[in-house]
Parts: sequence; structure tokens; C-alpha cells
Amino acid sequence: MTTPLEAIKKKRAESVNRILEKGYLADFRVYVGMATCEIAAGSADVMKVFVDAINSKELTNVYLSQKGCAGRCNLEPTVEVVESGKSPVKYGKVTQERAKEIIERHIKNGEVIKDWVID
Amino acid sequence: MKEFIITICNGTTCVNKGAHRLQEVLKEKLEKAGLTEKVKINISGCLGMCDKGPMMIVYPGYTIYGGITEEDVSEIVEEHIINNRPIARLAVQEEKLFNRFFRIFGDTEFFGKQLRIALRNCGIIDPENIDDYIALRGYEALAEILTNKTPQEVVDEVKKSGLRGRGGGGFPTGTKWQFTANEESDLKYVVCNADEGDPGAFMDRSAIEGDPHTVLEGMAIGGYAIGASKGIVYIRAEYPLAIKRLEKAIKAARENDFLGKNILGSDFSFDIEIRLGAGAFVCGEETALIHSIEGRRGTPRPRPPYPAVSGLFGKPTLINNVETFANIPVIILDGGGWFSTVGTEKSKGTKVFALAGKIHNTGLIEVPMGTTLREIVYDIGGGLPNGKEFKAIQTGGPSGGCLPVEYLDTPIDYESLAKAGSIMGSGGMIVIDEDSCMVDIAKFFLQFTQDESCGKCTPCREGTKRMFEILTRITEGKGKAGDIEKLERLGNMIKKASLCGLGQSAPNPVLSTIKNFREEYEEHINEKKCRAGVCKALVGYTITDNCVGCGACKRVCPVGAIEGTKKEKHIIDSNKCIKCGACIDTCKFNAIVKS
Repeated sequence: MTTPLEAIKKKRAESVNRILEKGYLADFRVYVGMATCEIAAGSADVMKVFVDAINSKELTNVYLSQKGCAGRCNLEPTVEVVESGKSPVKYGKVTQERAKEIIERHIKNGEVIKDWVID
Repeated sequence: MKEFIITICNGTTCVNKGAHRLQEVLKEKLEKAGLTEKVKINISGCLGMCDKGPMMIVYPGYTIYGGITEEDVSEIVEEHIINNRPIARLAVQEEKLFNRFFRIFGDTEFFGKQLRIALRNCGIIDPENIDDYIALRGYEALAEILTNKTPQEVVDEVKKSGLRGRGGGGFPTGTKWQFTANEESDLKYVVCNADEGDPGAFMDRSAIEGDPHTVLEGMAIGGYAIGASKGIVYIRAEYPLAIKRLEKAIKAARENDFLGKNILGSDFSFDIEIRLGAGAFVCGEETALIHSIEGRRGTPRPRPPYPAVSGLFGKPTLINNVETFANIPVIILDGGGWFSTVGTEKSKGTKVFALAGKIHNTGLIEVPMGTTLREIVYDIGGGLPNGKEFKAIQTGGPSGGCLPVEYLDTPIDYESLAKAGSIMGSGGMIVIDEDSCMVDIAKFFLQFTQDESCGKCTPCREGTKRMFEILTRITEGKGKAGDIEKLERLGNMIKKASLCGLGQSAPNPVLSTIKNFREEYEEHINEKKCRAGVCKALVGYTITDNCVGCGACKRVCPVGAIEGTKKEKHIIDSNKCIKCGACIDTCKFNAIVKS
């Protein structure tokens, strides 16, 4: 009989597989804050920009996910861009316009837009 | 942006092991190598790796160096920073659950100085996808206890951790679990109190919205420990997104065999449902909360019997706060022994605060117990904006108190805050600057509590109302000699005679502001003066000689209280003036002052 601990290990392997299948190992992972506070600050619009860019195939090889609130209230909405092998870049006060620029300049052309980075 | 960020732990253990000296050496070495532009040093609070101290973390890459000496610092600067070759020999592996957060957020000043245990997953996982939680060892703590621990061993582990209730009371969690476990009953309940009601506080909402599964897992572990088969999350209906995510999480947990019958093939069965509260502040009090779940009027009752003996539907009930449950999986996986290394002697672990008010970096923070208020306000919060003077910090919401500048070095733990005249509370923290009137602040909180008083007991129902009337009178310039003493007498009486925590703590904002800012009350009453210029009845607006007669103020005045001909000094008719401040905001010559 499998113990609960063996069961959870099996489940974890399955979960990790499902996450990988969703493209977790893409060149870029983008996380958009989607808690009540972030949404009130406009993050749903920001999310839409990324979703549209992926659906229209403008962006390929990007793993997009929502996340809860990390706690940086006055800089919301926040977006993290994680590129494999590099420091995760955290953007604050992201609007639809900024999101478009992040796609254009950062994700497509590798430029970290320093003015918007939370440090 | 700097190329490297080095975080040095400045927690007590690391400091005892020589962290201060290492900070100096690091600074010297960096200056000598001309690297100060390239490297930023971040001095953090306890990072929860005391056994490996003194320690530093180098970003990017999240390389943790532990047990370092002065020579090691030189080597780190030369090898890691200059040659960009991390030193495997000095690097330590740290598998604690909180690490994940710092891999992503640790290189920022705001987050790098925190320690995230309860909020370890908030902001890094998709809260609506159970796979994200499982991948980060989610539900492993539950599986671990079902496989290897008896219920009593779980209770013992929680006792060993020293965890205390995060809802504000600070009752030792392990002891509460023990009491509930000791009761013999065919049915027991686990209740999660998510009825967060302090104005400006949002710890529970963020925790549930960011990582709902950890709360469910903590509850299931509690259920196993005390022998309960049923759990209820009591959450207010004003949190629709948190409720939606909880519902989704409960459904996913059932599908994955983490809730329901024979969890993960064991003999343990436990399920959770959600009950919505209508948003009454008093329902955060445990007996009122129980009444509300039972479908009765949300009013408290005298204790004992405590809910551990006779709670929901008369059955033994374990009630803990959201944050308390969120700590449980960590205590099981990383150990109660480890948990107890973080914090102070009597207050272990971390506390989440909602930092708000007149401060640069507003936000949700989690810091080790023992962090001082000064570190929170100036290091994490970044100080006050617009060069304003710090006046007070309000902790504990409407049940807490206002602490002035002399208390800034108070370490955050249950006892120290109580001794200073405030409380830990559930985690509201509001910074107040010189532009705020302390009488007005006290009035604000009292208005809230007298409004939320359930009316069951007389001291709270009548007393808070009378106090509010006196405060209103004072702020309207109608204060009388003896009002302060009357407030003190009423306040102390209400504290002693009220039935529940709401009334017992409602006078705190008033009593603490009288204690620490008595002169402001006296000015209001005797001199009819409000030094912050907040109480409208006590403030007059006058135009000084700086006035050039541009007429801008005259045009914006909504009641036509300003008169004057062009290019000549204008005057304000104080009888008409409603003190809205529109003229001050408009004047470009700073010619209008409050007096």
C-alpha cells in the first residue's frame, strides 16, 4: 500500500509535468499580479495585453501566469519578467502602454527598462 | 541599477557571530576595488538561517554564503564579484520553504529585508492552479503527518515552534490545539477566522488570494491533530475574489484527495466549507463568529466555556486566524525547532503587517518578530514622504494604540507592544505624520468601534457612544475642562466591564493618544487650537502680505468667502468660510495660512 508521503511525491511529479507541459521552460516567464488590489490598480488590462500578444502569436516561447499580491501596494500593478539564467526583473506601475513596451523592448529585444524596475 | 546586490543578514545571531565586522570589511573591499557603483549592499533583518550565520546572499543567482570569515569576504569580492565565479566551497544549500520567494524578490530593498513564512508563496505562484502549490512541496506537510506522526506529535511540534495566535490575541497555538485535542467528543470543528475587519488591514485577504491552499493545508493538519473531521472558513462577503479562489482551491483539493474521505489513502477524513459573514466587525470575536455560523445573531457571549470545550453547535472547536494556519505547513516541514529560532524569546516566527498611512512604501510586509518599528518605518517603509516629521505609528487598528517617536525602537513582539501601550493586533500599521491631529485620529477609530459595537453589553454600547460625543465636542471647539479626565475614566471603565474584546479594547486609541499626546487634547480644549490644522472648527484661514491680488483663490472658493480687488490683498470672511482648503491648494504665492 502506498503511504500518503509516497502518494504526494507521485502527485508532485505529475504537477511538475503539467507545469512543464504548459511551457514553463520557455525563454521568458511573465507573472502579472492579479489580487483584488492589483486588479483595482488596473492589472486585468495589463494581463489582457500579454494574453492578446500570445494569442496573436506576436509572442512565442513565453509562459504567462497570474500571481497573488507580493505586497508592494504603491507600485501596483506589478509584472515580473523572468528570463532563464538572469535576475528576475520586477516592473512596477505597469499600464497597458507599459506592458506593450515591455513586450517590445524587453521580451523581444532584451532591454531591461530600468526606469520602471522596482529596486 | 546595480549589477550585484549583496544582502548581509543583520539578525541577532549573525551579529553575535560578527556580521557587523563583515559589513565593514565588505564595504572597505568594495571601495578599494572601485566597485561601489556596481554593487549594492542590503542590510537585512534575520533571514531565518541562523545556524549557518554569519551569512550573505549574492544576487543575481541567489548564492547563499554561510559561516563566512573576513578572508571569505575578500575572496567573495575577488572571485564572485570581480571574476563572476561563485565560490562553491563557501556556498550553502538552503532548502527551507521561504527561499523560493527570495529567489525572485530578494534583490529589492523592500522585500530583501523581510522574511516570508506565512506569505512564502504570495506573489510567486498562480493561486488558482493547485499544481503550482504542489510543485512547491504543497500538501507534503499533510502527507508527512499522515504517514509519520501521531496527532499528539503534531500538537507537540506546534508547541515546540512557539507559534502564537496571529489574529491579535497571541495565545499559544499549540496550547489551544492541546486543549481542543483533549476534549472527548463525537464531533469537533476547525474554524478559520478570515473575518478581517480592521480599517486599512488586508493581511488575510492577500494571504488567501495569493496562496489559498496553504490555509486549507494548515486547517487539515489542525483537524488531524485535534481529531476533527469538519472545517469551516468564516470569511466576509466583501472579499469576492478571495472567496472565489478559496472555493476553487477547495474543489481542487477534493479532486486531488487532500480533502474528503480517507485523505491520500489514510484513515483521516476531513472536509472544509465556506461560510460568509456579512461584515460585522464584532464577528471577528470568536464567540460572535460561532453564533454567526450557527445562523444566530452575531453577538459574543461570556467565556468560559472556551470554544475548545464548547464551540460551534456546542462541540469542541479550534479557531485560528488565517495567518496562524498559513504558518503550520512550514512548521511541519521545516520543523518547530527551526521556526523557534526566528523571533524573540516569547514571540516566535514572523508577523505580517499592512503598512499604510504617511509612508513611502506602502505595502504588505512580513518581518521576524523582534524587528523594531524604526526598521519597519525607515528601512522597509522608506520613511515619510514630502520631508514630513514622524509623529506616531498606530498598530493594532481600532483596538490598538498610537506610539510616538520615543517608542520607535520598540521591538515588535506581543509583550513589548503591550508594554508600550499598544497591541500587536492582527497587523494593521498606520504611520501618522505632523499633518494629522491625534484627537481626530482617536475620534476616527472610536467612531468605527462605536458604530460596530453589537449593543449586547452596556459599557461598550453606551460608553463608546459617550466617549465619541466628548471627542466630537473637543474637535468642534466645545471641549470643557475635565473632558480628558472623563474620557480616561470612561475608557478604563469600558475596558474593564465590557463583555468581549471589541469593548475591552475600543478605548485604546483614545487612552493611548491621551497618554502620549495629552498636550494636543489640552490645546483643543483650553486654547481652542488644532496644531495640525485638521479640526475645521478650530482652524481659521487668513491671507498674508504675500498676496499679490491675482484673484485665483476668489475664483475657486465654492462659497464666495473671499473678497478683494485685483492686485490688492484679498481677505477671507471667516463666517462664510467652510475651510475646504481649495484656496490654499490654488494659491501660488503661499499667501494663505491656517491659524
